Amino acid sequence: MSERINRLQIPMEELTITPGSACQGCGAALAARLVFKAIGPNAIRHRIPCCPDSTTAHPSANSVFESGGAMLTGTWRGLKAIGRTDVQVVGFFGDGGTYDIGFQSLSAAAERNENIWVITKDNEAYMNTGNQRSGATPIFARTSTTPVGSVIKGKQMRKKKIAKIFAAHGIPYIATTSVGYPEDLIAKINYGKTVEGFKMLIIQSPCPVGWRYDGSKTIAMARLGVQTGIWPLFEIIDGEKFKLNYKPRELKPVTEYLKPQARFRHLTDENISLIQEDTAKEWETLLKSDELGRVLL
Amino acid sequence: MVGNKATATAVKLARVQVASAFPVTPQTTITEYLSDMVANGELDAEFVNVEGELSSHVVVQAASRVGARTFVCTSGPGQLYMHHPMHQTSDNRLPVVMATVHRGNKGMMPDHTDLMSQLWTGWMQFYVEHNQEALDTCLMSYKIAEDERVRLPIAFGYDGYVLSYTAEPVEIPDQKDVDDWLPPYKAMPSILPDEVLPENLGGRWDRSDPQKRWQEHHEAIVNAKDVIVEVNESYGKKFGRSYGNGLTEEYRTEGAEAVLVAMGSLTGTARAAIDRLRDDGLNVGLVKLRCFLPFPKEDFQEIGKKVGAIGMIDRNVCLGHGGAAYTQIRNAIYDLEERPSVLEFIAGMGGKEVRVDDIYKIGKKTLKAAKSGGVSTSTEWV
Ligand SMILES: Cc1ncc(C[n+]2csc(CCOP(=O)(O)OP(=O)(O)O)c2C)c(N)n1
Ligand code: SF4
Ligand SMILES: [Mg+2]
Repeated sequence: MSERINRLQIPMEELTITPGSACQGCGAALAARLVFKAIGPNAIRHRIPCCPDSTTAHPSANSVFESGGAMLTGTWRGLKAIGRTDVQVVGFFGDGGTYDIGFQSLSAAAERNENIWVITKDNEAYMNTGNQRSGATPIFARTSTTPVGSVIKGKQMRKKKIAKIFAAHGIPYIATTSVGYPEDLIAKINYGKTVEGFKMLIIQSPCPVGWRYDGSKTIAMARLGVQTGIWPLFEIIDGEKFKLNYKPRELKPVTEYLKPQARFRHLTDENISLIQEDTAKEWETLLKSDELGRVLL
Repeated sequence: MVGNKATATAVKLARVQVASAFPVTPQTTITEYLSDMVANGELDAEFVNVEGELSSHVVVQAASRVGARTFVCTSGPGQLYMHHPMHQTSDNRLPVVMATVHRGNKGMMPDHTDLMSQLWTGWMQFYVEHNQEALDTCLMSYKIAEDERVRLPIAFGYDGYVLSYTAEPVEIPDQKDVDDWLPPYKAMPSILPDEVLPENLGGRWDRSDPQKRWQEHHEAIVNAKDVIVEVNESYGKKFGRSYGNGLTEEYRTEGAEAVLVAMGSLTGTARAAIDRLRDDGLNVGLVKLRCFLPFPKEDFQEIGKKVGAIGMIDRNVCLGHGGAAYTQIRNAIYDLEERPSVLEFIAGMGGKEVRVDDIYKIGKKTLKAAKSGGVSTSTEWV
C-alpha cells in the first residue's frame, strides 16, 4: 500500500515544458504535472489522442486512440528485448481511451500483467472533441451527446466502476486519486514504482469547460467530489487487498458537489436522491471492504 | 516445407526480437510455429499473444520504435482490422516486416484484396510466387526496410492455402550466413530517455509545413527501388538465389511479341501456360510483378518498348476502378511514344480456380492484340 507523504515530500523539480495549450484551471494539466514529477525522467511517455494537458520533458511515443494497452506492451517487450528494463513505460490517457475505445487492449495487457503504467486523467467526457459522453460520464450529466432535451435529460446510464473492473483482472496495483489531493496522488505513484507488473491510476481531473464551473475552482471541485463520496480514494493490490485512503467521519451531501456544476443544473430532486443513494450504498461497501482489507464489489 | 513454416523459419533466421499475431485462417499456423520456437528456446524473442490484430500491429510498432526487430502476420479480415495503425507505423518510418497470407473478404479463399486495401498506408508491398520466395523475401525485407536510406515497413503477401498449407522444397540458409548478411537493428532516432535528442522531448514536431511529411514519405518509397535492386543482388551473391532485378522477374520474354503479367502464385500457373504457348510457336512471355509498391514503372516502360501488347492478370479489383496493377501499367506506358495495348484480366477472385488453359487463352488473346492493335480494352473476368 502507498505510504502517506506530506507536501514537502512532493518533488520540487518541474518536468513540464512550455506552457501547454490546456484551458485555465484544467485538472488534467495538473494531473500530468504531478504524475510526471513523481515518475521522474527515466520514462517514455505514451500518448493517444486526447486533450492537450501538459507536455513533459520525456521521450514520447504515440499511437492510435484504441491502442493504449498494446502500445505500452510493445514498448515494454521491446525494452526487454534490447535489455533496457530500467526505463519506465507510462501511458497517460483520457477516460475515453481507458473506459471505452481503448478498453479491449488495456484489458488484454492487464491479463498479461505487462510491466507498465496506465494513468488515466478522468475528466468524465471526450473533451478533445468537445464534451461528448464517455463510459466515465456520471449519470444524468449533460454532455453534447447526452443533451438536456424535452424528453431525455442528460446521460441515462451510470459511470463504469473502472477501478473495480480492472481489479477483477487481478493486477498488482490499481488506485484512484484526485488532483485535489496531490499528496495522495504522489504517494500512489511512489508505491507503484516499487511494483513490477500492471499498475493503474485513475485520477479525478475536473474540467471547467465540460463540467461548467469557474476555472478557479478546480481544486475545490475535486475535493468536494472526494468529500461527498462521489470520488472515493482507494487502492487495491493483487485484485484483492483493499484500503480506503480518505475516510471523513461524515460525508458531505452530494448536492454540494452537484450544485456548482452546470452540467448537473437540470437535475430533479429525484435525480439527486438517486445519486445520493448510489453514493451512500457504494460508500458502505467501501467501508466494509476497508474493514475486511479485501475488496467487495 | 509449407509456406507458413518457410515464413516462420525466416523470422527465426532474422533473429526477430518481438513478434505478435492473432490467429486467422490461413495465417494461423505461423503463430503456432513461432509460439513453439519461442517455447522451445529456438527463437530468443518475445512472442506477444494479443486479443486482436489491431493490438498485434501496435505491439510491433511500439517495439520497433524502441529498437527491437519485429514481425507481425495476418490474413484477410485481420489485415483489414489492422489498417488504422499501419498508417502510424509507416509515418513513424518503422521497419516492421509483415507477412500477409492472402484471404479474400468475400469468403475464405485467397485473392489480393486484403493487402491491396492497404495501398494508401505508406507501406511497401511484395507479392511472392512460392514458399522459397516467401522465405527469401522475408529476409530481404528486413535488409531493405532497415536500410538507412529507406526506413519503411514492408508487407509481403502469398496466397493462402495454395502456399500457406502446401509443401514445396525449400532451401534454408545457414544461420551464420544470415547473421553475416543482416546486421542487428538499431532504432533511429532513439526514444530512450538517455539517448533522445533534447529537441524531441515532449513529442513536439515541426508543424510549419504539414505536407512535407507526405512528400518525404512518398519519395522514400519511390527511391527504395534502388535499395531493393541492391539487396536482391547481394542476397543472390550470398545465398545463390535472386528474383529478376528484385522488382520484376521475366520468364521467356526473349523475342516475345506480347507479355502476360502475373502476381503471386498465379505466376506459377502462368509459367506452365507460357511453356505451352511457346511450344505452339506463339511468342508470348511472362513478367512476374513482385514488388508492387514502389511500382516498377521503369521496368514496364522498357517492356512496353519491346512488345505490342501486355496482358495484366490482376487477382484484385478496386471496385469501380479495375485491377490495381492494370491501372499502374497503363499509367507507366503512357509516357512511351509508341504504346503497346494493355489488356485487363481479372482472375482468381474469391479463390476461383485458374487453370493453365485459362492463362493459355489469355496469352492468345494478348498476342492477337499485339498483332492487330486496337483490341477491345474492356475487362475480361476469367
Ligand atoms: C479512432 C478515433 N476515433 C475518434 C477520434 C477522435 N477523438 C480524438 S480525442 C477524442 C476524445 C478523447 O477523450 P478522452 O480519452 O476522454 O480524452 P480527453 O479529450 O477528455 O482528454 C476523440 C473522440 C480519434 N482520434 N480516433
Ligand atoms: S477542455 Fe477540459 S480537459 Fe480539455 S484542456 Fe480544457 S479544461 Fe482541460
Ligand atoms: Mg476525457
